[in-house]
Amino acid sequence: MLLRGYGTAGPWGWLTLLLVACTAWASEITFELPDNAKQCFYEEIVRGTKCTLEFQVITGGHYDVDCRLEGPDGAVLYKEMKKQYDSFTFTASRNGTYKFCFSNEFSTFTHKTVYFDFQVGDDPPLFPRENRATALTQMESACVSIHEALKSVIDYQTHFRLREAQGRSRAEDLNTRVAYWSIGEAIILLVVSIGQVFLLKSFFSDKRTTTTRVAS
Amino acid sequence: LALYFHIGEREEKCIIEDIPSDTLVVGNYKVQRWDIHIRDFLESAPGLGMFVTVSSPSGEVLLSKLYGPQAMFSFTSYHTGEHIICFQSNSTRIAVIAGSKLRIHLDIRVGEHFLDESVIQAKDKVNEINVRLEHLIEQIHHVTKEQDYEREREEKFRKTSEETNSNILWWAIAQTLILISVGIWQIKSLRDFFIAKKLV
Repeated sequence: MLLRGYGTAGPWGWLTLLLVACTAWASEITFELPDNAKQCFYEEIVRGTKCTLEFQVITGGHYDVDCRLEGPDGAVLYKEMKKQYDSFTFTASRNGTYKFCFSNEFSTFTHKTVYFDFQVGDDPPLFPRENRATALTQMESACVSIHEALKSVIDYQTHFRLREAQGRSRAEDLNTRVAYWSIGEAIILLVVSIGQVFLLKSFFSDKRTTTTRVAS
Repeated sequence: LALYFHIGEREEKCIIEDIPSDTLVVGNYKVQRWDIHIRDFLESAPGLGMFVTVSSPSGEVLLSKLYGPQAMFSFTSYHTGEHIICFQSNSTRIAVIAGSKLRIHLDIRVGEHFLDESVIQAKDKVNEINVRLEHLIEQIHHVTKEQDYEREREEKFRKTSEETNSNILWWAIAQTLILISVGIWQIKSLRDFFIAKKLV
């Protein structure tokens, strides 16, 4: 209805087209995966769409997780055990629900924080070609290239942020471990040394009494 | 609302968003309940709602509301840090039927993805470019905020590493001193003991 109101099917036209033909989607979620747990995510994908799954473990244990990506018929497209970070691109060969799971079942008491980014299809073009009469103006192509550059800046920023979060988590773990072990060692040192002296003294005290008993 | 996952009926599922301050986060969700009779997820279940709770990094609650089966929620972060968004259904069924679960469709957008709404207002070429440029400026601001936040975090990281370094050094010195002093005390104490016992 909105399309018919405008003769040239201006902005409304392509917007409606965008909403209808929207197969482009990117979801990024950071969640906590408890020990011995498995979390699966599902997405319905149209055949022929190029998809990318990227994940990274941010905190927890050895910073690794099992990941498994299955197609609609159960076929395993990607399976990796104990991976810290990976990126997998595939083209959907069939229509249907694709499922990917993160598993922390190999870990007994550490829970992990996992980040993943699932990109389905390419982003819609900024100035779509369907209802255009002319080629892109210079302003528009400048906008497009700035937009692409900013998208990749944001992408790099996200990667950097995750790597830094992982590094920081390791540093904090190290700090607490160093503190506890050092205190523990100092205490053990004191206790063992003082204990040795008293033990040795007690040996000689006992011997004294036994020798006197034997003599008499 | 393409991505979905399953949770138990009374389960609470949380996701973490590490964001700088003054960032708008918009979330869209849709929840469906598994129906044991038709063995599929119902398109809509009356009375089904979701408690959405958003906690700031300092623990204070930014948003805590009950929404319907399909809703959009948003919040703006005041502090930088890890904000936790939790979902829990308002299902009051005490006896959890075997196989009962919920399907949650989720889409969270952080910062600068407000493309669609503003373009609707664009009526002509100049306005369209205007809107696009504003969107780009918004993206750049988001990048700058993230960078500032990153600088803070890196400083904290560096402080932790330096603290670990000085911890190791200090404790190593302390342990060596303890070792030496306890060693001296041991020898002295035993020597006095043996002299007292007339063994030496």
